[in-house]
Amino acid sequence: MSVSPNGVAAERGDGYVLVRLSGEVDLSWSQEVRRAVLDALAAGTPVGVELSAVSYIDSSGIAALVEGFQQARQNGGRFALVAVSDAVRAVLELARLDRVFLLVPSAEALLAA
Amino acid sequence: MKALRARSAGARTAGHARAAQRPATDPRAGEAGTLAFLAELSQALAVSLDLRQTLSETVTRVVDFMQVEAASLFLLDPATLVLDCRICIGPVDITGVRLAVGQGIVGSAVAENATQLVVDAADDPRVWRAADDSTGFVTHSLVCAPLRTAAGPIGVLEIVNRRDGTPFSAADAELLELVAAPAALAINSARMAASLLEQQRLKREFDLARRLQKSLLPHRRRDGFPVIGVNRPAHEISGDFYDHFELADGRIGFVVGDISGKGLDAALLMVRAASLLRWAGKDGIEPAAWLSRANDELCETTQDGRFVCALVGYCDRAATRVRFAGAGFPPVIVQRGDAFDEYPSGGPPLGILPGVAFEQRELALAGGTFYAFSDGATDVRDAQGRPIGNAGVRALIARHAKESLEPRLRSLLADLKQLRLVDDTTLLLVEAPRAEQPERLVDLRVPARAESLRELRGAVRAALDALGVEPRLRDKLVLAVDEACANIIRHGYGQSCDGDIELCLARNGTTLAFELRDTAPCADPAALRPKPLGEMRCGGFGIALIDEVMDDWRVEPLAGRRGNRLVMHKRIEDIAGEANEA
Repeated sequence: MSVSPNGVAAERGDGYVLVRLSGEVDLSWSQEVRRAVLDALAAGTPVGVELSAVSYIDSSGIAALVEGFQQARQNGGRFALVAVSDAVRAVLELARLDRVFLLVPSAEALLAA
Repeated sequence: MKALRARSAGARTAGHARAAQRPATDPRAGEAGTLAFLAELSQALAVSLDLRQTLSETVTRVVDFMQVEAASLFLLDPATLVLDCRICIGPVDITGVRLAVGQGIVGSAVAENATQLVVDAADDPRVWRAADDSTGFVTHSLVCAPLRTAAGPIGVLEIVNRRDGTPFSAADAELLELVAAPAALAINSARMAASLLEQQRLKREFDLARRLQKSLLPHRRRDGFPVIGVNRPAHEISGDFYDHFELADGRIGFVVGDISGKGLDAALLMVRAASLLRWAGKDGIEPAAWLSRANDELCETTQDGRFVCALVGYCDRAATRVRFAGAGFPPVIVQRGDAFDEYPSGGPPLGILPGVAFEQRELALAGGTFYAFSDGATDVRDAQGRPIGNAGVRALIARHAKESLEPRLRSLLADLKQLRLVDDTTLLLVEAPRAEQPERLVDLRVPARAESLRELRGAVRAALDALGVEPRLRDKLVLAVDEACANIIRHGYGQSCDGDIELCLARNGTTLAFELRDTAPCADPAALRPKPLGEMRCGGFGIALIDEVMDDWRVEPLAGRRGNRLVMHKRIEDIAGEANEA
């Protein structure tokens, strides 16, 4: 299990915004995650949430991602989960959301998708 | 390269009658030609799929390129230190000739691990002449280069007589050495590949044997069954086995066995002995007759000095009395309170002498425990490397006597494993079933705040790891507990955050019980319904996740409505078998 500290950071790429998450996403800070995702969407470009360093995510973290997904869809924007870790994938599968989100291997693939 | 340059000058052969016959494009004409020859050879050897063919071509090319009368390749058998001629090109076929290390120039090349150059064979007493003498071939000059590997020479490449009649030079020796290097590498790689394949094949066979063996061991019974066994193989496969079965009259038969020797044939004998002993005991005959029957059968078919140590017997369902007989099996240990008694086997191992009589014994357990350990347990080594013996096993039993059955078995095995396990270890015990007490794995009280979730998850994860719960299931269970706690924090306590959450994780047999207590206002059961998963909703699926992961769960108010108690259950079939894992 990865031991990345909890963290969320948005970086602007070439035509997209990437929100990098790391650590264990739970109720204690999932509101920060939600804020960061919604802020990233405000730019109007495609948004990817990079999850390779996320070793745990609970339903409150998933909810933040769902909200991002819905917001993007309403505005006709693009929203994808990037480089999903095994831990996150297991929870997405459990919640039957693994086929709902757009999952891409890299930020570049986000534009191609 | 200096020697090659000397050769490329061609000074020594220039003007010689044979040299003039060489075509203008003679590959030996320059260093480039030599390099091209070596590169081509290395390439062919590196990609060779059929090493024999490639080596044969290599020797042929050496003959052509170096313009020699004969060349041969010897391989060394490291066990016998004999060099065997595998490939030979030339007027006299010496394939199959065997030379000892040190014998002849070929043998010297290996003995000294150095290239041997014999300019004039007539002058060198070491030259092996048997082939010459019997065929009329005359060896004038020769070079032998060892096929070197990191682990020493594995053979020799030999060239005999230059076709132009001139003797070999240091440059020839160096060139042969350069050819020998990729040849040695190719042979070595091919051997390693073959041994790797062999290892993989063996591993597959061992895996199969191990699965077969495990499938023979009876399933752990949890319905107050008085006989329980565990088997811990020291290696991939075991020579030990145990079995238990119920007879129509209510008695329970049991068997423990230990096959002499190790490895695959011991494992196969184990499979046969296990079925034989089970078959022999199914009629409910006296333990002594049971052993005799199995012994006579095994004597007829067991060879190679292998034998089987075994203990067989019966007990009643309440384990008040045990009737048993041993065949070369370590003494049975019976523990009653602080007292230990030992009962040695009353007969020799099975499979040695037909018609032997065995003694049997009957004893009252009186609430005590009957332990039958295979000698793997008594052979376990202490820190000083000495076998702990029966006294050591008794000390282990005494140390854990107060623990209930499951934890005791785990502790015994863990202790044995911590000491050095040198042999397969099997333990079968008989004792009156006690009401199984749930085993508490986690007891934790934390403030009802989101910041506590990490600690809660860590505690649950560690406990499940200690149980050997498979990581995917473990992660789901951790998630479910986290979701439950998050719900208590968010919806139970709401704004007030001065309450606590108490988590208790207990295991009762194969069932895990997760219990969460809080002092929040009593929950409304109607609000706690799982919503369907797979829908894009921002929240509200924590309960659905719990429902998905757990077998069942319920929330009830605590006495006096001073809080809530959430209980979640999950059956974990497989971890019960963990004691049987290698």
